[in-house]
Amino acid sequence: MQKLSNIWLFSDLANRLPELVNAANTLAEKVSVFVLGDQQQVDQALALGVNQVHYLGEQPTTRITEDYAETIAHTLQQNEAPLVLLPATKRGKTLAAKLAIKLNAGVVNDVNHIDIEQGIKAAHMTYGGMAISEEQINSNTAILTLSNGAFPAAQPTAVIGEVVNVDYIAPAVAITCIERRAKQASSVDLNKAKRVIGIGSGIGSKENLVVAAEVASMINAELGCSRPIAETEKWMDRERYIGVSGVMLKPEIYFALGISGQIQHMVGVNSAQTIFAVNRDKNAPIFQQVDYGLIGDINKVLPALINALKA
Amino acid sequence: MKIITCYKLVPEEQDINIAKDLTLDLSKAAKKINTFDLNAIESAIEFKKLTDVEQITALSVGDKSLENVKLRKDILSRGPDDLLTVVDESFNQLQPHASAQILSAAAKQAGFDLIICGDGSSDLYAQQVGLLMGSMLNVPTINAVSKIIAATQQTITVERALDEVVEVLEIPLPAVISVSADINDPAIPSMKAILGAAKKPAKQLSLTDLEVGELATPVTPISVMAPKQMDRKQIIIDGDDEEQITIFADYLRKSFN
Repeated sequence: MQKLSNIWLFSDLANRLPELVNAANTLAEKVSVFVLGDQQQVDQALALGVNQVHYLGEQPTTRITEDYAETIAHTLQQNEAPLVLLPATKRGKTLAAKLAIKLNAGVVNDVNHIDIEQGIKAAHMTYGGMAISEEQINSNTAILTLSNGAFPAAQPTAVIGEVVNVDYIAPAVAITCIERRAKQASSVDLNKAKRVIGIGSGIGSKENLVVAAEVASMINAELGCSRPIAETEKWMDRERYIGVSGVMLKPEIYFALGISGQIQHMVGVNSAQTIFAVNRDKNAPIFQQVDYGLIGDINKVLPALINALKA
Repeated sequence: MKIITCYKLVPEEQDINIAKDLTLDLSKAAKKINTFDLNAIESAIEFKKLTDVEQITALSVGDKSLENVKLRKDILSRGPDDLLTVVDESFNQLQPHASAQILSAAAKQAGFDLIICGDGSSDLYAQQVGLLMGSMLNVPTINAVSKIIAATQQTITVERALDEVVEVLEIPLPAVISVSADINDPAIPSMKAILGAAKKPAKQLSLTDLEVGELATPVTPISVMAPKQMDRKQIIIDGDDEEQITIFADYLRKSFN
C-alpha cells in the first residue's frame, strides 16, 4: 500500500491521541502531532513514537481550544498536509470546520474507516445509523474526525521525535472562556455496557419494568429501551433509547424484551455478539434477527426466568 | 438584534426502508423539519427574554419540497417572524460545504447579528453547516451550545457541554452558534400560532439572487448503504412453559462464558 507522506494530528483529549497515532501509523510515513498543554503531554505524545511534536504551548484558561485554528492552519499551510486527523469530539469537529475553510479542505466527521488506495475515502454513519456513507475527499488536504474507539490505540514505543515550538496566532475575534467546570458524568453509559436488556412496548406495564430491572441486575446488564418507551410512554430516560438518533450499542449480549424488531431500533443493536429476545408475537420481525428467541407472554416469562436464573 | 435560524427538511426516519441490495429506500419517507433545528428555532424564540430582538428569520436551502405549504406553516408557527428560502431543483442532495456557502450568502444579504443552527441533521449528520457558515462569514462560531445564559446587543454568554467539562463562553456578535438537542424542549405550536403562520411573509430566492460564486465540492459521496446484517443462529423456542423458559435461560447462561 502506498503510504501518505505526512499526517497531522491534534487531540483536545489526551486519552484519544493514541488512537489517532495508531491510525496515522498505518497510513503515513511521517506522523506530526500538535500538542497543547504542559510538558507531560509533550512527553506522552513523544512516547507514542511520533516523528514531530509541534508544541502550541500551555493554554491560557480564558482561551478556547478552537481559537488555535489560525495557528494550526498556518503551520499546515507551510508543510505538506494531505491528511489531518482529529478525534470526533465537539471541539474536534469545530476545529475541523474552521481548518476546512482556512485550507480549502474537505471534512468528514465521525469516521470509522479510512481508505487511501485512490485518493482519500472515509466512511461514517448516516441516517441515524441506518446507513454507512462512503465519501471521497477531493481537496489537497483531507480533514477527518475519528469516531471514539473506531481505531485501536497505539502503545508507547521508543522516542524518536523532535519538538518544534509554534507561536500563537490570534483569531480576528476571539471567544472568551469565563468558566470551565467538571461535568456531572452521565448516569448511564449504555454504549460501553457488555450486556444490555432492551425494553419495548411489548413489556406491557410499568410494573413489568421493575421485574425486568431485576432480571437485569441478576445478569449484570444495563437497561435500554425502544423509542416509544422513552418518548411516548416516558417510562425511561431519553439517554437509554436505542437505535436511530439514540444510542448505538456494541454489547456482548443484547436481550430484547417486548421489542418488535423494527429496523430503526435494530440498527442500534446489530453489532451485538449475541441477541436474545422474548416476544408474544411469533411474526414479530425481531425473530428473524436473533440468535435465541422465545415466543411467549412477558407476564409469564419474566418471573419464570428469574426462577430459572436463580437455579 | 436580528436573528437568523437555519433549518433543513429531512426524510422522516421512521419511514425509511432498507432495500434488498442494502440501499436506502426513501420513497415512502415524507419530508419533515430536522428535529435538531427545532431546538435552534426554540432557542431563537427564547432569546427574546434576554434582550431586544427586532426580527427572527427562518432560513433554509433545498429543493422544491421547501415550497410545501404545510411545512412552511409548520416552521412559521414555531415563532419566526418571516421565512427566507433558497430553492433549486438540483438542491436535493446538497453537501455541507455547498449548503453553508448558500446559507452564508443569504444571511449576509439579509443581515444578522446572530445565526442559530442545530448541531446536525438527522439524515447526513455531517455536523458542519453552522460551523462552516461561521468560518465563511469570518465571525466567531461554536457548536454544542447547551444553554444561552445572557445576551446584550454586542455579546452572548453561553454554556457548552463537552465530553468532560462545561465551558461558559462569552461570544462577541455577530456570531454563528450551533445548539445541542438538549438545550430546550421545543414548544408545540398553538392553534393560534398555526393560523397566524399563513399571514407571515415568506421570500423565496434562487441561486442567481445571491452572490455565491461556484459551489465547492471538497467532498463527494460515493455510496450510502445499510451495514450488512450479522448472521444469527435463529434458534426459536415456541412457547412459555416452565421447561421452555428453562431451556431459554440455559442459553442465556451459557452465553455469559
